[in-house]
Amino acid sequence: MILRALRERDIPFDKIDVRKVIFDPHHVDWSTYGAVLIRCVSHTNATYASRMLEMADVPTVNPHRVIVTCGDKILTTLALEAHGLPNPATHIAFSHDPAMDAIEALGYPAVIKPPVGSWGRLMAKVNDAEAAEAIIEHKQTLEAERLTPLYIQQYVNKPGRDIRTLVVGDETVYAIYRHAEHWITNTARGGRTTHLPVTPEIDELSRAAAQAVGGGILAVDLFETRDGDLLVNEVNNTPEFHGAMQSTDADIAGKMIDYVLKIAEETN
Amino acid sequence: MKVGIVCSRVRVEEKLLIAALKARQVGYDRIDPRKLDIDLAGEALSSYDGMLIRCLSHTRAYYITRWLEGMGVPAISPHQTVHTCGDKLMTTAALEEADVPSPRTRLAFTPSAALDAIEAMGYPVVLKPLFGSWGRLLARVNDRDAAEAILEHKKTLGGYQHSIVYIQEYVEKPGRDIRSFVVGDETICAIYRASEHWITNTARGGEASNCPVTPEIDALSRAAAKAVGGGFVAIDLFETSDGRLMVNEVNHTPEFRNSIDTTGVDIPAKVIDHLLEIAA
Repeated sequence: MILRALRERDIPFDKIDVRKVIFDPHHVDWSTYGAVLIRCVSHTNATYASRMLEMADVPTVNPHRVIVTCGDKILTTLALEAHGLPNPATHIAFSHDPAMDAIEALGYPAVIKPPVGSWGRLMAKVNDAEAAEAIIEHKQTLEAERLTPLYIQQYVNKPGRDIRTLVVGDETVYAIYRHAEHWITNTARGGRTTHLPVTPEIDELSRAAAQAVGGGILAVDLFETRDGDLLVNEVNNTPEFHGAMQSTDADIAGKMIDYVLKIAEETN
Repeated sequence: MKVGIVCSRVRVEEKLLIAALKARQVGYDRIDPRKLDIDLAGEALSSYDGMLIRCLSHTRAYYITRWLEGMGVPAISPHQTVHTCGDKLMTTAALEEADVPSPRTRLAFTPSAALDAIEAMGYPVVLKPLFGSWGRLLARVNDRDAAEAILEHKKTLGGYQHSIVYIQEYVEKPGRDIRSFVVGDETICAIYRASEHWITNTARGGEASNCPVTPEIDALSRAAAKAVGGGFVAIDLFETSDGRLMVNEVNHTPEFRNSIDTTGVDIPAKVIDHLLEIAA
């Protein structure tokens, strides 16, 4: 869909397969590119590719800084906090005892998430102390060092759905509900989507969240609380939108490409 | 004035730093990251004027410095430095952008692209994991057979950090390299690390001797420290066979116990004086 939008606009482009590229700052002339849209499925590849392109003075959507922040839940929460945006209460701990203190302080149920990772993997909802103890021990046995910090969050009792919005530049393009029986509403895990209107409140919070992490093309996950407030849960830097196409008429790919062209123009 | 020192284990280095704090009669707390319950909406450490980060775990240092940054508490080393030095590609990118000479480096995302890059670069090359220290998993590759075998092993190691291959030209060293220490904007001392092995790390048996800080070493060390974000860092320098210097790596939480007597410089005193300066 993105490639089709490029062809419709007669914009010359290359599809850059990071599996084939050798990044050598002195070897490849990256300056022939006005801008590069990063659509790596792998967050790691996106992180390093965007940094190499930044080094070559090629603007990327999203920028490296945004990819680093969105790829890490701790950095995202700190960015949202710095901008005073509502988000679920969150604690960090590096070992068992303070983690248990944090969970007891937040109250059950609580959610323990890996700071890095996506598609809802390794997310744990803990309803009591026994579950918390067991999950913490399992996490600490995991070898990948970046998975061992314990990111502990207040569980938000959602009405069987959450809201995902897409922000492109300074515009909230669409909003969808993601419905699920399961507390993890990720569509990659089978959630069903329906359209909802972008209210001024949703619009304002979505754009503010996108700005807080640095701005670009971003999917914002919002929770509705029981007393009618909205909280920002996460901001995703490589939004998948094919699921949303069924529930919105917005020309998503077109808006994305127009934004990339605008960035290219502004930079060059 | 109150400062903190963040560390889980008090090694020789931390004992020396604490002694320097006591000698200056500065109030301090030792903060054990294993005991921290960090409320990300809170500002629990905001009463500190400065923080010395001595975590063995890069991950802990990374998040704690970012949290402190949000509170406006200055840290040695600051988050930017921890972020940059904790990842070899980020270090290379920062050095390149600051025009600090460093070994030629390429990056590939798959074993087959990596093999092409290695062949194009010519042997020998060095493959390094993006994270890690003490010279672990450094591989000097002298031919295609070795390259193929190591790339397959890296792939089998799994985990995202081994899926990205960091390839560097091998620099022929005169049986030693140089480690300089920079505090703030001052190169306080330097040592030679001599070794028969191509990995000259003192943690791996490299032998230390004093290295006079020449104007060239001084300028390059300060430029490298500034490029990665400053603080208290150790710079690893290579001397090339044609007499140039290049920066190999920068360490954001250096060990220095073997360098005090060797250089005659009171490294912990210099670090604490700098901490008090930025805390004031």
